[in-house]
Amino acid sequence: MKKFTTHSLNVAVALACTVFGTVRAAEISVPPDASARDAKTLVSFACSKCHGTSTNGISISPLFPILAGQNSIYIQEQLKLLRQHDRADPHARAFMWGISHALTDEQIQGLAEWFSSQPAVSGRPSNNAALAARGKEVYENGVPEPHRVIKCIECHGETSAGTNNVPRLAGQHHDYLALQLHYYRDGLRANKLMNRNVKNITDDDIAAVTEYIGTLSGAGDSSP
Amino acid sequence: MRLLRLGVAAITFVLGGAALMLLAQPARAVPPFARQTGLACEACHTMPPELTPFGRRFKLNGYTLTTRPPLVNDTDDHKRNTLWLTDLPGIAVLAQIGYDHYNRAPPDTGQPYPAHAQSDTFQFPDQFSLVYAGAVSDKVGAWMQLTYNGQSGSVGIDNIDIRYSDHTFDNKWVWGVTANNYLTFQDVWNGIGSYTIPNFNTVTLSSGGVGGTGTSGPILNALGPGVVAGLGAYAFWNDSLYFEVAAYHSAVAGGGSPVVDSVSLAANGGALDRFAPYARVAYEYDWGYQSAEIGGSALYADWIPSVGYISAQQQLAANAAGNTYTPAQTFYPGVSNRYTDLSVDWQYQYNGQHNIFGFLGHVTHERQQNSRQLVAATFTGASSPIYSNPTDTLTQFLVTGEYFRNRRYGGLVSFTRTTGTNDPLANGGNGSPANQYETFELDYVPWLNFRFILQYDVYQVVANNQSPFNLSNATFPNSPGFTNIRAGNNNTWVLGLWMDY
Repeated sequence: MKKFTTHSLNVAVALACTVFGTVRAAEISVPPDASARDAKTLVSFACSKCHGTSTNGISISPLFPILAGQNSIYIQEQLKLLRQHDRADPHARAFMWGISHALTDEQIQGLAEWFSSQPAVSGRPSNNAALAARGKEVYENGVPEPHRVIKCIECHGETSAGTNNVPRLAGQHHDYLALQLHYYRDGLRANKLMNRNVKNITDDDIAAVTEYIGTLSGAGDSSP
Repeated sequence: MRLLRLGVAAITFVLGGAALMLLAQPARAVPPFARQTGLACEACHTMPPELTPFGRRFKLNGYTLTTRPPLVNDTDDHKRNTLWLTDLPGIAVLAQIGYDHYNRAPPDTGQPYPAHAQSDTFQFPDQFSLVYAGAVSDKVGAWMQLTYNGQSGSVGIDNIDIRYSDHTFDNKWVWGVTANNYLTFQDVWNGIGSYTIPNFNTVTLSSGGVGGTGTSGPILNALGPGVVAGLGAYAFWNDSLYFEVAAYHSAVAGGGSPVVDSVSLAANGGALDRFAPYARVAYEYDWGYQSAEIGGSALYADWIPSVGYISAQQQLAANAAGNTYTPAQTFYPGVSNRYTDLSVDWQYQYNGQHNIFGFLGHVTHERQQNSRQLVAATFTGASSPIYSNPTDTLTQFLVTGEYFRNRRYGGLVSFTRTTGTNDPLANGGNGSPANQYETFELDYVPWLNFRFILQYDVYQVVANNQSPFNLSNATFPNSPGFTNIRAGNNNTWVLGLWMDY
């Protein structure tokens, strides 16, 4: 009679467990998000507390970005970066790392579709014409050396509606935009393109370009 | 007789409610909320325990916000959750340590010769709490706190707030029910009540630490754990208008029966009689980085004082000792004073990227209708009446300004003034319940859950028997030589540490 060796026994047990386990898993498996809240509920229950209490994606405090009308692909990309902790600016860490970490891809898609479908906010005329004019210059033509800045219009479009994974900037809180530009410039928010494009931007130009962006409508085709 | 009167006056002060504040240490932010929500402290707090607009909505929504899927979930046939358990039990440890240095050492009150009095005290810990904080289900959340109090040296149930909440999809309406054991603990603004700023307060620390009784204040701020329990319903409309109605009842810790006897009365200086209705309305407006609120509160409470009440057992004992008590000399349960408190509170916040400003406070007016059986003019017993006036009033004004930079450094200045009718029998001396003091505070916050506090409290007015450091021969006859009744004797330096995890 052939004796089972310890090794062969282990293999047999492992095989049995694998087969049995597979069967059991198939029997009891449920969709991964069956017990999780759907995206719409999440918007009302969680996101809205910062990004617009009435679920419209329009935040009151400039600490939090306006998401209404933002491009769906951009929102999804950012939520995944936040979930993976790959976006690591201070506000991302404080507010979004934890709250996004258990989101499923389905939830992220649902959230992005919700917010992108909300009526967007348009810009308003500036009270500081000179500053806005300087900002228009930066936005449309960039800044030459030594404070080289790539022109924003190249990606964000004439009305700053953005496209795909390029964010809509029109209607966004002025202070939020300015903070993000500081983050990009100072390397606190990682994005190879943006880090390079605004590496040498001055505080004055940040103030100017965000003032100008605040006047843009965000309407129409986002292509330059 | 004078001693008796002074003793009665001291106890009567308790009826004013301020001493009850000592029973409940304020709660603060706790990491379970952060773990549950995934949000750092700054989402909910400008500087704990002061809430941001988000923090107010988190609380009004029943502490339930999370994006974590439940670890255990059960639903009925209508997909309604019947069990919703997170994978995180929301347990926290919260500790406060305080070192107080008084301007002058308090006198010894219990010995024929003054003992060695120190002018400082170390509360290590001043408070040590275990807290459950967070979601109990998808619509129910709780704050439940068990606290070791360094001043009393005992462990007891501290603040509890259990609330059910729901809301419309667009959050136009948020409503809920709260069961709690501390009137105002359920509030979401910080100009009034248990979360009033300043929150790390030497008035609380010193008054219990060296056997004193603290400063006078309205009963509205003083119905805390071990004294009351209440049930309230609230609604928050359109992100701006808040309504709440509640009713509180005595809930004496250790009192298992409905009998309000001398023991349970003595434990807290008295007890609520029947239900005390409470109403609250507030309006908040948020714009940009700013948030402003104005609100009003009203409390109507009958309070059974412990003074003069002699139980049947005590009568028997007194009779056995040769002292005959008759019903005419005895105060019975049901003798209560009626308090009507009306308060206006306000709060302004600037919660910016780097700078935080706050300006908040309240004015509370209290009308205390004393029981006819306890008032001198209508007193029919043979022993001493308790109150000089049929009606006493008290008005407390508190205003605080604060500033923090990057949530790392900051401080505040606070001014408190209490005035009221003179009631010599109740308060001794000229009977004034008045006090006035300022708090100056510097904060260093190396981590958001670890905070150093340096505080200096300066007193201009400390009325009769309102302070442990009212150094008069009359108050402390066993401590000859203490005749200096300057309010400044109470000036106190506090070095505090607050931490939680």
